[in-house]
Amino acid sequence: MTVRKTDCEGFHRRDVLKFGAAGLFGLGLPELLRLEAQAARDGTARNRKANAVIMLWLGGGPATIDMWDLKPEAPEGIRGEFKPIATKAEGVQICEHLPKTAQVMNHALLVRSLHHTIPSHGPATVFMTTGNKPTPALQYPALGSLVSKLMPAKPGVPPYVSFGEIRGGVGGAAGYLGTAYNPFIVEGSAGNGRGKGGTTLRVRGIQLPNGFTLDELNDREGLLRGFDRTFKAIDKSADIVDGFDAFHKQALEILRSDRTKKAFHLEEESTATRERYGSTTFGQGALAARRLVEAGVRFVTLTLGGWDTHQKTFERCKTNLLPTLDTTLSALIEDLQQRGMLDSTIVYCAGEFGRTPKVNKNVGRDHWARSMAVLLAGGGFRKGYAHGTTDAHGMAPEIDPVTPDDVSATIFHNLGIDPHTELMTSTGRPIALFREGKVISKLLA
Amino acid sequence: MCTKSTLIILSACLLVCFPPISLAAEVQLPQGEKLTSIDFERHIMGLLGRMGCASGSCHGSFQGKGGLTLSLFGYDPAKDYQALVRDQNGRRVDFANPDNSLLLLKATGQSPHGGLTRFGKSSWQYQLIREWIAQGAPWKAGSGSVQTLQITPAECVFDKPGGRLSLQVTAHYANGASENVTSLCEFRTNDDAVADVSNLGVVHALRPGDTAVVVSYRGSVVPVRVLVPTETKAGFVYPTIPEVNYIDREVFAKLKRLNMVPSDLASDEEFLRRVSLDTIGKLPTAEEVRRFLGDPSPDKREKKIDELLNHPLHAALWATKFCDITGNNTDALENPLQRKPHQSQMWHDWFRKRLAENMPYDQLVHGVLTATSREDRSLEEYVKHVEKYEEAQEKGQVTDYAERKTLDLFWRRQQRVTVEEWGEKTAAAFLGVRLECAQCHKHPFDRWTQEDYRAYANIFNAVAFAVPPRDQKQYRQINEERAKRSQNRANELRRMGQQVTFLPVVPLREVFLHPNPPRPLTHPDTGKPLPAKTLGGPELKVASGEDPREALWKWMREPSNPFFARSFVNRVWGHYFSVGIVHPVDDFSLANPPSNEKLLDALATDFIQSGFDIRKLEKTILLSRTYQLSSTPNETNKFDRNNYSRCYIRPLMAEVVVDMLNDALGATEKWGPGEGREGARAIEIGASRVQNAGVNHLFRVFGRPPRAAACDCERAMDPALPQKLFLMADPTLQQKLRAPNGLLASILKNKKNDLEALSELFLSTLGREPTEQEKQAFVQFRDRKAPETPGRSAADRRAVFNDTLWALLNTTEFIFNH
Repeated sequence: MTVRKTDCEGFHRRDVLKFGAAGLFGLGLPELLRLEAQAARDGTARNRKANAVIMLWLGGGPATIDMWDLKPEAPEGIRGEFKPIATKAEGVQICEHLPKTAQVMNHALLVRSLHHTIPSHGPATVFMTTGNKPTPALQYPALGSLVSKLMPAKPGVPPYVSFGEIRGGVGGAAGYLGTAYNPFIVEGSAGNGRGKGGTTLRVRGIQLPNGFTLDELNDREGLLRGFDRTFKAIDKSADIVDGFDAFHKQALEILRSDRTKKAFHLEEESTATRERYGSTTFGQGALAARRLVEAGVRFVTLTLGGWDTHQKTFERCKTNLLPTLDTTLSALIEDLQQRGMLDSTIVYCAGEFGRTPKVNKNVGRDHWARSMAVLLAGGGFRKGYAHGTTDAHGMAPEIDPVTPDDVSATIFHNLGIDPHTELMTSTGRPIALFREGKVISKLLA
Repeated sequence: MCTKSTLIILSACLLVCFPPISLAAEVQLPQGEKLTSIDFERHIMGLLGRMGCASGSCHGSFQGKGGLTLSLFGYDPAKDYQALVRDQNGRRVDFANPDNSLLLLKATGQSPHGGLTRFGKSSWQYQLIREWIAQGAPWKAGSGSVQTLQITPAECVFDKPGGRLSLQVTAHYANGASENVTSLCEFRTNDDAVADVSNLGVVHALRPGDTAVVVSYRGSVVPVRVLVPTETKAGFVYPTIPEVNYIDREVFAKLKRLNMVPSDLASDEEFLRRVSLDTIGKLPTAEEVRRFLGDPSPDKREKKIDELLNHPLHAALWATKFCDITGNNTDALENPLQRKPHQSQMWHDWFRKRLAENMPYDQLVHGVLTATSREDRSLEEYVKHVEKYEEAQEKGQVTDYAERKTLDLFWRRQQRVTVEEWGEKTAAAFLGVRLECAQCHKHPFDRWTQEDYRAYANIFNAVAFAVPPRDQKQYRQINEERAKRSQNRANELRRMGQQVTFLPVVPLREVFLHPNPPRPLTHPDTGKPLPAKTLGGPELKVASGEDPREALWKWMREPSNPFFARSFVNRVWGHYFSVGIVHPVDDFSLANPPSNEKLLDALATDFIQSGFDIRKLEKTILLSRTYQLSSTPNETNKFDRNNYSRCYIRPLMAEVVVDMLNDALGATEKWGPGEGREGARAIEIGASRVQNAGVNHLFRVFGRPPRAAACDCERAMDPALPQKLFLMADPTLQQKLRAPNGLLASILKNKKNDLEALSELFLSTLGREPTEQEKQAFVQFRDRKAPETPGRSAADRRAVFNDTLWALLNTTEFIFNH
């Protein structure tokens, strides 16, 4: 049945409408899958610089004024305790507690003039992870969901994988694209805590659970066919039965494929590599993320939490947060570079907002969205560069202000996807990927 | 006799009166219309609209495109005339050399155009615009405002697939003129599997079924019903089908016109499983199936329907649906975080109580629509009331919130909700109308203007969730006390070395009508405040101090209201048939006519006459032969998708999937604090997000709505790959499958014979006995794995049945309703 959709645009858009109606039964689902697969092939865009993204999400809102945009000249209550150091990028200084990252800054860029207006965790997370300012009328899809819609992965490989959920599912979800584009979630732990040994990491829902073997699956599958025959014979023309059947075949393909599973075999990596990434869950996760990208995953999200430093921000950053991030972030960039993957993989390190330039009475910093910095590396981004500036006290952008929409648009530009591509919501309303987003050409390599 | 001089004067005069243009040439439009004088509003704007030039992604967007900004969908002729003829120093039209007009150079792609080539130089479109410019680009304000659009034929009835029919559209204008405008209309089919329509209005019947072709021209929208009957063999005589009630009469009358014969009556097994899942979200147990099949009484289906409609879970299922409809979004509720799930549950309880009592629908809506926090309470009583339920929340007890008259939680959200949003939410929930397009522009496929939108939103202008101004002082005191009490309690616990685990309190506020409401929304053109007005109905006359929402409610429940009863009966119908008579169920609009108008009217009339009796409505539906038809199609109705000639195979609500899997496995769920008692079924849970990770995952995969937007579309009812992966390999599900104390374990304990156990499993999952073939498939499988021998271990037997249950849960038959 074609579910009719009123859209705000008109009839000449019918093809888009048809195509965007993913999930509705307007087309038989298999037909839809075929169409999408075809579009994916056709859409191997000419301008594609990158074919994967690894997003390192700093949950809670990192004090980027103490990381990427230090203000040593500012008064004491603002400049904080950390000193800037030189990096391999000429003229770009970062925090002294990010020394390893300083050594790879020649491969990365900083956006120092990013800003938005929402100093509240939930909506700010939505803004940063979707590239669209949240509204109550519509749930925007996460960048990863958009990628899985517009750049499907190889058969048997999940396009969008997230290590845990962002803010308990507030961020990272598919919104108006529908459940089919939600992330596949990684569960389990990454080894014995010293960066050695096997891991129990697994993507929920695409692997057989422990104690359920492939042989067993094949056996059960045989029996299932014996039970399913009667019902399927009832209505051969039912799209829904047909569609579910197509998914059944795909599901088997995924469960039988070990591409993704192998990505978690971190013991195949040298000890040196595993140690280089850091023995933390975050570090080993980043290594697994690289292996997932090698297996064909398009978008991986990895969270390092604990950045909501209302108290003792310097102590917490110095002793724990910054060293953890420094080791893993630098290892990831270095490793991708050495493997020749950096040019085709975007590394995006961001949190929901920055923190108040003014240090509070608890030696902490509070929420601050009006200025913040993010790091981007690889996949068509310029190298060894710092974009934009903030004012003397880091309160607000001064030169080249940039919004989350712009950063998202630029990432999609490098993925070869026009950031103004329109998708249809399930009510048939056309929505541009990033309505307000402009591609920032100075960020491009 | 004329002198030479008078001739000169005369011609000079002519020159003044008429610009030096070539004699009007005739332009022929593709549908045969011949135009001599070209009218800006009627022809040029019609054409631009039809070509998509004024759409939101082209020149109709707020910023315009490439320097040219047109009014969105052409609502503003003056603005568009200015843009096309005057702006840019008139470069867009060249009177001296029309072919050199930028408008034409761009549209034909002779000059670079972001929208590429819209039409060629030899096209009729080109001729039309060229001729208009050649005639001096005239504009007569109002010449093209459409009064009615008349389509011939008004209904397209084909005799079989394959035929073609040409639609003719006549516009009747406000100034009394009328004209054939077929070539200038936009045509769209609502179902291109049934019928296609060309951009010149030629309808092509493709497949048996019915749909509508929607014609629009300059903001007027008219649907034309298209009927494509099934082709029948010679000698076909339409059989007589027994009718139970008026539903069957209307449904079968329509089917007869389509030459579609309804499927047979569903078997008892089919009926029982379907009606149980639809009404209470529960699989019948093996015992229930056997008892029902064994019952010889002729009215056993009716008895079953009564039993199910009175079942406590029936109210729970509809409470869940009402939580969707009214937007019970846990994340958006009032702080503190720890109390949000409790509030969601109170919301669910409130509906469940009323649904269990079968409160009339209008009364139910009254409790939502006119809610205030205090109702008739004094401030003191209100504080007591809140603190009573706060205490119950803390003790993990059921609150007495359901006893309240009104659901103030609906209006009680942490973040401020604008009047526009209240307008959209209430219109979608209780009128089935989607207004959001009209926030920024006239709704392209419906009648709603920005003025309608704002005037309707103004009804909610005085609703506030805050501290009432006159009670500021007392509130300050109350809230200080509350904070102090909480602080003291925490200190006390800390002093005793105990952890502070009690639920925090936040400053008290209330939902009330503000005595000095903000300035209402204004008219988009004049900037004057708009009086509060119902949708498509009268202005609300409200005395000061009166609640305009009360007046809105009175308007809603009037028998003549075109939306209120119709939208609800349509929702109920949509629940039981998976396809609304208007579909999607909350999209009543001009461009989305009901598939069976008479049926919808009959249901609505009956519902109103019954005093909005929800359960009676449900019973009428469930008793109908239409509901009880089999899902097996026949040759004549296999293409039917919206005329209810058989039961459509359909996905289940995510909550029902949770419950149904637990039924089949003999398992239960644990819930987080405030979410629900241990062992509660998912349809009894109010929270839109739960702590139980396994259930949350299932909710996400099977599409439980976050209830963030006022749209039925939020509940994803489409199959998706992760669902299949979930059923095949989810660790929690597999664990339940192997559990030592589940349903399977008890079946194997009680049925020592394998085939008997197999029957039991089939009955408790698919609600029917296995067929001979299925028994054979099982026996073959078992004999290969662990034949039924005296020496076989219990573990080996269990392994075979684990595999069997896995296979049953993974059948298409299990996961859908049918």
